[in-house]
Amino acid sequence: MARPEIERLTGELRDALGDEQVIDDRARLRTYECDGLAQYRVMPALVVLPRSAQECALVVRACVAARVPFVARGSGTGLSGGALPHADGVLIVTSQLRAIREVSPADERAVVEPGVINLAVTRAASPYGYYYAPDPSSQQICSIGGNVAENSGGAHCLKYGFTTNHVLGLQVVTPDGDLVRLGGAAPDSPGYDLVGAFVGSEGTLGIATEVTVRLVRLPETVRTLLAAFASTDAAGAATSAIIAAGVVPAAVEMMDALAIEAAEAAVHCGYPAGAGAVLIVELDGPAAEVEAQFAEVERLCRANAAVEIRVATDDAERALFWKGRKSAFAAVGRISPDYIVQDGVIPRTALPEVLRRIGELAAERGIRVANVFHAGDGNLHPLVLFDDAVDGQAERAEELSGAILDLCVAYGGSITGEHGVGMDKARYLPRMYTDDDLDTMQLLRCAFDPRSLANPGKIFPTPRLCGEVPGRRKGAHPLQEAGLAEVF
Amino acid sequence: MPRPDTTAQLDALRAAIATAGGDSETGRSNETGRDGRAGEDGGAGSAAVRPAGPADAVGGVPARIVAAPGSTAQAAALLRAAAGLGLSVVFRGGGSRSDWGNPPRALDLLVETRRLRGVVEHAAGDLIVVVRAGTPLAELQRALAPAGQQLGLDDPVGGATVGGAVACNASGPRRMLYGTVRDLLIGVTLVRADGVVAHAGGRVVKNVAGYDLGKLVTGAYGTLGLVTECVFRLHPVPAARAYVRCRTAGAGTAGAERVGRLLGTVLGAQLVPTALEVDAPPGGDYQTVLLLEGTPAGVAGRAEAATRLLGADAVHGPAAPPWWGRYPWQPGDTGLKLTAVLSGVPDLLATARAAGDRHDVPIAVRGSAGTGVLYAGLPAAAGPDRVARVVEELRGAATEAGGHAVVLTAPEPVRTRVDLWGPVEGLELMRRVKRQFDPDARLAPGRFVGGI
Amino acid sequence: MSTPDPVPPDPPSPAGTPDPPSPAGTRPASVPRDVLGLLGPTSGGPAFDGYRPPPSDVVADCVHCGFCLPTCPTYLLWGEEMDSPRGRIHLMRQGLEGEPLRDSMVGHFDACLGCMACVTACPSGVRYDILIENTRQQVERRHRRPARERALRAAVFALFPYPGRLRLLRGPLRAYQASGLRALVARSGLLPRLAPTLATLESLAPRLTRAPKAPDRVPAYGRRRAVVGMLTGCVQSAFFPGVNAATARVLAAEGCEVVLNPARQGCCGALSVHNGRLTEARRFARDLIDAFAETGIDYFVVNAAGCGSSLKEYGELLADDPAYAQPAAEFAARVRDLAELLVELGPVARRHPLPVSVAYHDACHLGHAQGIRSQPRELLRAVPKLELREIADPELCCGSAGVWNILNPEPAARLGERKARDVLATGAQLLVTANPGCLMQIAAAIPRLGGTASARPAGAGGIAVAHTAQVLDASIRRLPVERLLSPG
Repeated sequence: MARPEIERLTGELRDALGDEQVIDDRARLRTYECDGLAQYRVMPALVVLPRSAQECALVVRACVAARVPFVARGSGTGLSGGALPHADGVLIVTSQLRAIREVSPADERAVVEPGVINLAVTRAASPYGYYYAPDPSSQQICSIGGNVAENSGGAHCLKYGFTTNHVLGLQVVTPDGDLVRLGGAAPDSPGYDLVGAFVGSEGTLGIATEVTVRLVRLPETVRTLLAAFASTDAAGAATSAIIAAGVVPAAVEMMDALAIEAAEAAVHCGYPAGAGAVLIVELDGPAAEVEAQFAEVERLCRANAAVEIRVATDDAERALFWKGRKSAFAAVGRISPDYIVQDGVIPRTALPEVLRRIGELAAERGIRVANVFHAGDGNLHPLVLFDDAVDGQAERAEELSGAILDLCVAYGGSITGEHGVGMDKARYLPRMYTDDDLDTMQLLRCAFDPRSLANPGKIFPTPRLCGEVPGRRKGAHPLQEAGLAEVF
Repeated sequence: MPRPDTTAQLDALRAAIATAGGDSETGRSNETGRDGRAGEDGGAGSAAVRPAGPADAVGGVPARIVAAPGSTAQAAALLRAAAGLGLSVVFRGGGSRSDWGNPPRALDLLVETRRLRGVVEHAAGDLIVVVRAGTPLAELQRALAPAGQQLGLDDPVGGATVGGAVACNASGPRRMLYGTVRDLLIGVTLVRADGVVAHAGGRVVKNVAGYDLGKLVTGAYGTLGLVTECVFRLHPVPAARAYVRCRTAGAGTAGAERVGRLLGTVLGAQLVPTALEVDAPPGGDYQTVLLLEGTPAGVAGRAEAATRLLGADAVHGPAAPPWWGRYPWQPGDTGLKLTAVLSGVPDLLATARAAGDRHDVPIAVRGSAGTGVLYAGLPAAAGPDRVARVVEELRGAATEAGGHAVVLTAPEPVRTRVDLWGPVEGLELMRRVKRQFDPDARLAPGRFVGGI
Repeated sequence: MSTPDPVPPDPPSPAGTPDPPSPAGTRPASVPRDVLGLLGPTSGGPAFDGYRPPPSDVVADCVHCGFCLPTCPTYLLWGEEMDSPRGRIHLMRQGLEGEPLRDSMVGHFDACLGCMACVTACPSGVRYDILIENTRQQVERRHRRPARERALRAAVFALFPYPGRLRLLRGPLRAYQASGLRALVARSGLLPRLAPTLATLESLAPRLTRAPKAPDRVPAYGRRRAVVGMLTGCVQSAFFPGVNAATARVLAAEGCEVVLNPARQGCCGALSVHNGRLTEARRFARDLIDAFAETGIDYFVVNAAGCGSSLKEYGELLADDPAYAQPAAEFAARVRDLAELLVELGPVARRHPLPVSVAYHDACHLGHAQGIRSQPRELLRAVPKLELREIADPELCCGSAGVWNILNPEPAARLGERKARDVLATGAQLLVTANPGCLMQIAAAIPRLGGTASARPAGAGGIAVAHTAQVLDASIRRLPVERLLSPG
């Protein structure tokens, strides 16, 4: 396939960045064809690994000049296909931008490059008694740049919030190729909160090249308990009781029997055998507060028919409690040849009802569903298990997976709590938002990326073109006439 | 006596509202418990749209027409009609911050949110509330209190509405623990300049579907659209509270440095304060006050620990100091917001005092030392040239400390002498956002940064 | 010297090309989203033939989560997908799908250190060890390397597996270190790549004396609890005969009759099997099994981590050999690492105090490949007055990796320095590990950081090095600790 503009771009970028930073060999390119959601595969036309913000901007400018779309990728662990390459585009990989520029405990800030691993920030800050709070399950490998793009959460965001609550400033390469600073080290920068708009925009508003994050004081005390229940209903009731008591735990995580089985097989975390559900409840903060509330949590678990309660006696035991939870997604591979990781949100109080409905939907289709979730904030991760070798199972699983999202929307929830829309859920977005809602979101995109070159095809179900005069409808674009796009 | 075109416009706007049905038909929220206000206005829109009176001015600029839609649908119809008429529009909630920002370049239609009032739904079990934008913050807190819950947002001016707090990104002492509007607002209903109704976010705290337009309109001064309904995450009301106070004597740099050491001590300890405020009245001693919240036993223990840490001068008790949660200025004064990285707070305090002394302007500084957000007040009586010089020096110091100095409110003579907003990063992108949302620049024109 | 291994006889294998792998990701492959088909066929034959290709079902176990990335030394060095375990598995998958075995692909397989940190990290339990081993033997048979590289590899494999040849070299090496021979070998092309490694070995090794010939058997001290065979190894026996002697003494002290059988035992084949040289590896394995066939051993003890992990897999290595399949499996079942066996048997010999601070380094082939982490620590902690310190990032390879550091000197040096920095940061007086390769690699890196490292006197800022066996031996024999710190 002759793609002269790609060839020219390749030569240009090789000259500017050096051969080693530009990948155009087919076998190598293909290793970048998917992110953490491996079922979508698109080989990029070119992979470029910038070593600085300036190089990153240079690459984007070259793309703009060549009218070639670009997609940013961090560690490639996203679960919505957000970093899925564009077949005729450049994949800009930030994995070599991994310097921690500054750790300032006195200011409770760190400044890092986008390729820095989430956990590395905490490791850099912990000698000073601080850490970086957002902790997605993939925190040992996911990058801060990716976290910014996806507004990643984690088990502890119940108390501490998501990436967006911990990012104060950004340096970004805009889809025009300009290096721009948004926000800053101090809070409440004047003007529109473009940091807030950028975080979670899934690479459609540009590429973050430097991120200023908040550091949080390591808590004086962390207390963790593992409570086993006969059913998810009982565990859900315990969760509700804890929240109703005015306790704000750092995390409340639930796993059902099937998820427990998988985790047990993978990491031998020693969860109580035969439990219908387990809760991991973690409290942190000043010792005096935590002790008082922890006793209350224990009492509420017992009052809600916990069959067994274990309290972590040391860091090792606490780590073991968490190990089962954090490896649960990948661990499901041990009990099923194929599976879909779903990510939806419901109001927490609807948990028992929704779980029952999921159970019914699954039974109707003869599909097993393992449930892992952030129970404190109603973020479900149903794992839909199937065997692709069995005729029709994949389709049924896919259909069930979509039905679960419909259920989330019907209960006033969201189609994604932390994995993002990406490629995978673009078609579900209209189930949650009206055309007008989506139009309004696209106004923001058009302000940043009038040429639609930044991660096109993600988030929004239909490609839209930004009018030449913003906000005014112009004559029909060829794509619009062909029914492929809408201009507004 | 309205101008002839005003009369025609009044009729057009009334007609538009009348077609939009009764009050509070706000799309999605009409499924859930309304508070029975529907029909108050008979849907006719006659009382909802009126000629402006003498009190209907923003920053000294009089409006011609005032409208108070009773639902999102009415607001949409109103703004669609206003767009058709090419009217300049400013939104007003409680009016408590009408004197903030630049005066609008033009003002045809003042849209009030007073009839967009009331809690739509308080899902206590889910710790969220759906509330109309015109609801006063105080009223909202009263509605939440019986469930032992609160919105973790302070109301430093008093009388502010939910929508006004969102538009001006208001915050107070407790931002240290609960964050600000951007951290608490999880869903928003917005009417665009062209009258299109858009929602973003939702009713669940955890949600990454689509762009976070709630953050975009937070602190946007109504330049992107009218917020008609908000969804907030809530927090439990703590069982116990204690304030730990400490006075630091000494003026100027030495005193500010001592305050700095205190702040470092508090932040380095394991106290998890809800607020950490500093108050520096003109010429007086610095006072540092810590708010601790939690269980009775926990708060008692932490208050003792904090008192020991802060030294011999420290005392603790259940009552807040009288200045707590108020801006350090009176109506008509010049009020600034100063931000800095945490380690820059002492310098900012010292600079403020030094600048006041140098230019002979009594300057009061107060604010959240624990987050790096301070406010400064300069009396209305101070000479505008001297105030302008102080602002310039404070801006230099704030920039040096990684932050900004924004003049939130100032008397007209001061306004003409200073750039209220100061330098803004990413201004070109902001202009582009504004052009997308409001291509004809009719919403609050000129009030915001860079003349937006 | 440069003759490639003959292609092994094709055992019965599934006819035709291997099955395409089943989808590995988190979503079903039912919806055809792969646009790669558009690119058309590629030139060249498929990468793998039917003889032991990387098994497609093992490839399919990878869900592309990326948890392996942060533990992979080459990903750490270069930050590129194709030099990560996930990327290499993707390359294998491409090979199975019919992509040819080009230089680019082979380069990334070759760059793998085989440290197996990824196997430990993988929550899905992907057997990367099997994948890379099968891939390497395919590469060895089916790919022709450039002449220079072939010559280097031939030299390596003609030298290292042969303790006799290594011993012969030791004299000249001392001369090399001491004299202008360095300049001489510099001109000969190959030796500069080999010489630094050998020179390091020599610098660490005790002075060359005519070591007493090892006895055939060492009787148990006190009541005999077991009869154990013991591997004397290649590098270990040539350069560190003292480690072997200490191992035998410790075993004897713990009630083991030790069978050494020095005349008959040679290389165990680990180096060959780790580099895809199957035929050679099988020859070594058969010889070793034969050597101990009639000795009546209960266990076969190994004190070199890399050898131990290979010996435990003799069953798989010779599974296709009808005459040896059974004996190999039986032999493999008796194989124990020294620390593993000592903990299994439990101590009987009294430990005497050794007042010394020890940093224990997990050799990859002990920790990752054999899962032996707690045992050596338990043994060291049982020595009175010995203080055990942990090294940061213990899962990370030191860069030795068999002969990887000879084949890839520059990146190996960087990894070595990183590890050395972490080792020095412990402030320990003695570095203990159970693999001669690691010992040499870290010790060689320490001087580059400005410290000193030696099995001889440890200077300020430096560290002495020892094998676990030597520490236990010193404790049991009540030797003064100085013997470990300066055994001159």
